Amino acid sequence: MRGPFLFKDIDTPGLKGISRYRELGGYEALAQTMGKSSPEDCIEVVKASGLRGRGGAGFPTGLKWSFVPKASPKPRYIVCNADESEPGTFKDRELMEKNPHLLIEGMILAGYAIGSHLGYIYLRGEFEYIQRILDQAIHEAREAGVLGARVLGTDFAFELHTHLGAGAYICGEETALLSSLEGHRGQPRLKPPFPAVEGLYACPTVVNNVETLMCVPDILKHGAAWHRQWGNERSAGTKVFSVSGPVKRPGNYEVPLGTSMKVLIEDLCGGMRDGMKLKAIIPGGSSVPLLPASDLDTPLDYESMNAKGTFLGSGGVIVIDDQTCIVDALYNVTRFYTHESCGKCTPCREGTFWLSEIFERLLSGRGRMEDIDLLADIADNILGKSFCALGDAAAMPIQGALKHFRHEFEHVVTHQSSLVNRRKAEIAGVRA
Amino acid sequence: MSQQVRVNINGQWIEVPAGTLLTDAARVAETHVPVFCAQSKLPPLGACRICVVEVGAPKLDAERKPVLAADGNPEIAWNPKVQTGCTTPVAEGMHVRTESAVAVKARKGVMEFLLVNHPLDCPVCDEGGECQLQDLAFAFGHDHSRMADRKRTFDSEDLGPIVKKEANRCIVCMRCVRYCDEVMGEDALTAHQRGVRTEISSFDRQPLACEQCGNCIEVCPVGALTALPYRFKARPWDLRQHISICPYCSNGCSVRLGVRGMEILRARGTEYRGVNQEFLCVRGRFGYDYVNSADRLTAPLLRVGGQLQPSTHDEAVAYSAARLRDIAATHGPEAIAFLGGEKLNVEEQYLFQKLARGVLGTDHIDARTRLVADVPGDAVLRATGGGRPALTFEQLLSAEEVLVLFDDLQGESPFAQVNLIRGQHQRGLHVTVAHARRVKLARPKFKGDWLGLKPGSELALMHALSRAALELPRPEGLPASVAAALDAANGGLAGWSAEKVEAETGLPMETIAAAAKRLHGASRKALVFGRAVLEHPQAAALLSAIETLAWATGAITSSRSSVMAHGAHHGSQGALDMGLTPGFLPGYVPLGDSAARAKVEQQWVATLPAKPGMSARQILEAAASGKVRALWIASDHWLRSAPDRALVEKAMATAELVIVNELFLTETAQRAHVVFPVAAFAEKEGVVTNCERRIQKAHRALSPRRGTRADWEVFQSVAQALGADWRYRTAEDVFREIARLVPGYAGLSVALLMPGGVCWAEERVAPQPAIAGSAAAPAGEGLWLLSGATLFAQGSLTQRSKTLSALAKEARAFIGLAEASRLGLSAGDSIALEGPGGSLSLPVELEDSVPPGAVFVPYALGAAGLNRLGMPSGSGLRVKVRKATAATAVQA
Repeated sequence: MRGPFLFKDIDTPGLKGISRYRELGGYEALAQTMGKSSPEDCIEVVKASGLRGRGGAGFPTGLKWSFVPKASPKPRYIVCNADESEPGTFKDRELMEKNPHLLIEGMILAGYAIGSHLGYIYLRGEFEYIQRILDQAIHEAREAGVLGARVLGTDFAFELHTHLGAGAYICGEETALLSSLEGHRGQPRLKPPFPAVEGLYACPTVVNNVETLMCVPDILKHGAAWHRQWGNERSAGTKVFSVSGPVKRPGNYEVPLGTSMKVLIEDLCGGMRDGMKLKAIIPGGSSVPLLPASDLDTPLDYESMNAKGTFLGSGGVIVIDDQTCIVDALYNVTRFYTHESCGKCTPCREGTFWLSEIFERLLSGRGRMEDIDLLADIADNILGKSFCALGDAAAMPIQGALKHFRHEFEHVVTHQSSLVNRRKAEIAGVRA
Repeated sequence: MSQQVRVNINGQWIEVPAGTLLTDAARVAETHVPVFCAQSKLPPLGACRICVVEVGAPKLDAERKPVLAADGNPEIAWNPKVQTGCTTPVAEGMHVRTESAVAVKARKGVMEFLLVNHPLDCPVCDEGGECQLQDLAFAFGHDHSRMADRKRTFDSEDLGPIVKKEANRCIVCMRCVRYCDEVMGEDALTAHQRGVRTEISSFDRQPLACEQCGNCIEVCPVGALTALPYRFKARPWDLRQHISICPYCSNGCSVRLGVRGMEILRARGTEYRGVNQEFLCVRGRFGYDYVNSADRLTAPLLRVGGQLQPSTHDEAVAYSAARLRDIAATHGPEAIAFLGGEKLNVEEQYLFQKLARGVLGTDHIDARTRLVADVPGDAVLRATGGGRPALTFEQLLSAEEVLVLFDDLQGESPFAQVNLIRGQHQRGLHVTVAHARRVKLARPKFKGDWLGLKPGSELALMHALSRAALELPRPEGLPASVAAALDAANGGLAGWSAEKVEAETGLPMETIAAAAKRLHGASRKALVFGRAVLEHPQAAALLSAIETLAWATGAITSSRSSVMAHGAHHGSQGALDMGLTPGFLPGYVPLGDSAARAKVEQQWVATLPAKPGMSARQILEAAASGKVRALWIASDHWLRSAPDRALVEKAMATAELVIVNELFLTETAQRAHVVFPVAAFAEKEGVVTNCERRIQKAHRALSPRRGTRADWEVFQSVAQALGADWRYRTAEDVFREIARLVPGYAGLSVALLMPGGVCWAEERVAPQPAIAGSAAAPAGEGLWLLSGATLFAQGSLTQRSKTLSALAKEARAFIGLAEASRLGLSAGDSIALEGPGGSLSLPVELEDSVPPGAVFVPYALGAAGLNRLGMPSGSGLRVKVRKATAATAVQA
């Protein structure tokens, strides 16, 4: 058993198929709910469960659902954000690969709760093989009467489609995702109106992450209190963390929220690889500020992370060892955001480009001491001024790195080379 | 809707309507919040971020009462993040800081970002001097750049003959892309790539296949898009800029002309001014160049021994006056007729008819060039509501349902079309287009409905629409006479069964009834028609039918009218208003009304003819048979534009005296006895009335070309030589007389008539809805000849514009695929068209919007002279079409 909840049965052979899924209690939540609980009750249970969005922002799921206008004559949509593009994050991939029916069940239930009869699963372009798995599962569900005009024989109709993105990070932002799904350029839209009021095709829409939706069936089956057996008051439930970097056993781990990072890294992942020391941890995907090794005791929950000036994010835990150059690592991250900036707003489009240029110069030995403050000032000029959170995501890691590792930047300027740089050394080794 | 809210901007309280955007509220507070991506015709985008401000609200305690600071004022809770003013609507009690440290740092930061990749090529950039980026960089940018690295660069690109792109200067505000899509409906531009590599271009990176309006250039806040015709011609501070009125169609768009020396170098719109604001179509923006032409006439010409010889004004005036006096003395004033004048300003039109009626005593005056049928001079006004407050472009934009009758607005009325496109894109407007061709506005992307009627069945369709509308409840508050007339009309339409309608129009009755019902049911609606109706052989009956439909659907009510008519030229409405029609004095005063006539006679100190004169067509026929001996043609190319070329040729050849006012030595001028060279639109002051009946002042942008005079001066000189006591020093003097005498224009003063002007409204003619005319299409052979203005070829002026004539290419005929295959034609072949009056050979182009059984030839293309084919009869013109062999494919 790799985890207490979502990962409990994840490695069961044949779970992909509907029969094994049903043997393990699949679609029971659906049968229990359809026609027995009202949509309002479902929303109340999810609200009480304390479930928060697992895609990164941590917005309370039940509250999001309750924003869908009750009286709107327009159709409503439930959209699953399976664009999983945050560097360091690979949890949704494994969840969908191994347990596609749980997502389907979660989406039908979410659709039932908000009064939607049509759902879309928006997958990142690289997830073509997962699309095949999902399409197969959707086909099985349709054959089994789980999807279609009469879900499990009730009057509730629900259809589900998958859609592949074309390879843009920004399409993980919910409004850009909706634009892309509509066939437009994948760029974020103005909020308000929020998707719950005017989303897909200007109709009320809820966009939830894969992991979030997968939590829903069991919450409805077992109740809010059951879900609260894990985690704490404000961060209830479990969370899947994707650990990457030089640890002994990198991979996905599901732990109750509030578990200390130390337990995750040292116990579950077996600690650092031999001969390596922990220098820093990016706890929630490349968009969040890193924490130094001294903060290893921090509990993995939303509030504790915020208290340390960072975020739980998507749960993409990137472990950085003492032989990694922080400047180089940040260059890598910044280049990613420069490449992925959609170009809609000025600060993100121009700022990320400028940051990359400065990093490149620093690392090629042409840095100036004032460049360090310039990096900080550019990051400050992006933060909070960009159209969507992508700009913030580019700015915050730089601020975090400068807060904890400014001396490495200074070293790069004064010595025209990194303090340490394992990556560079390894590349040189390969070439030699 | 307009509930007022109080907002505090930098400590100053202002009151603005709820929902006002912060940037607009700041303008009220006279605080400058810069914008780049925001544009008045486009919805907020919030992309460029230059308008970021600090926003806050009074802090509330637990009891929701404001917390007071030490000084007794409420404490303000400022949002931690700055907000974009262009996307934030104001709210009651909102506090805004534009100059706080936070706001200023954010704005300077954005400014610096905008310059990160912007080249320092202002000295060679056409935008330099009027560039918003340059201005703001100067206002609050850094004096040096912290950007020490390599800039991202693109190659420059020509997007066709009009648009030049320098992508390095682009700040990705997306104004051009959005304007092209949402306002123009062209969707010709797009953004390629993403992030810092975002580049605007055409989809396929080929030259833009669009209307070439250049509005993308206009809305570009930097020099990324510039106009090739203006490229490197001038610096903006070297230009004198004057606002005139576009000389092409009847929309009355304000054009800001940039003049250096004696040359117009460019034309632009002006955001927040005029009906069109920044919008101009390709004609308005690039068609001004005929004014600069070296081919302009600069000396009067007199026919001496069969040849036109240069002369002087005094000589030409004396000769004209002497000949006119002789002819009037010998054959009576009825032997003199006045034609043309739709391209004149209101004051000139007024003097033209005053010369005819007051000085020479003839009422043979008609400005309406293409008139085929005899249409009373007040018929258009009656069909548009008799003078009730007219439909404005603003109302057109915010209508729910608009019915466009038989016009291709793209060529006839570009700004009306733009309002309809923008309305459907941004405000849920629905358009129904009745047109034999699937014109732009009828294309599926505009989500409207297309009534693709059979050519020639226009009146049948009107009857069917009226019949459907009259079966619905009558609008409330109809005047009794109208209600009775509508009942009578309903009776007259009894024979129009669904089968008959479908047989005549080719459209199912349900489709037509649905269109009538939509119009009837909409609370904000409009009917739009234009030249296709006015120049139709059944024009009079069509105008009555339009009036009937308008009353029956509530498009005209006793208090207002929602019907708009587009004339052919910028002076078309003025020509009607000023009585350039037989039988009507200025202000639609019937000549037969002796009391009213006496009043004018007293003012003019003249005796007016009591009997209404002849229409244009009758005048030409009378001239051809020698009854009319003198013709004065004012600034119009009748040989090209009148419906029957042979008739005009004969009339001009037979007349003893032909006087022509012209800019160029046109074919019409070549056959005259006297040619007065006149000033172009930009060279004279004057007033122009557009299709909204909006009276606007056009300013002189440059002095008249040496040797030319304004048309009104020519008329005055001849009147004085004929002994009239005219003493107008300026056009404004003339307008003062108009404001004193002409109903509708009463009490106006030129000082009030800045861009935007005023719309005149005064009920001048009584309603007369009626069903008239035989709607059955006459049997005939051959293909229907469809014609109309296109953007690049509207008439004789577009041909003199180098830019427009290059865009228009050569004369050609358009034919549908089905018809082409029936005739065995493929693209590049030539066809011979044979009409009742003559024949014409044209290369053919395949165009799917042309229906089977018809051929489309734009008006006035090249040397084609469509009127060689003869006069349409019945309900239209039919021509025999055959594939021309190489030997017969001679350009006519």
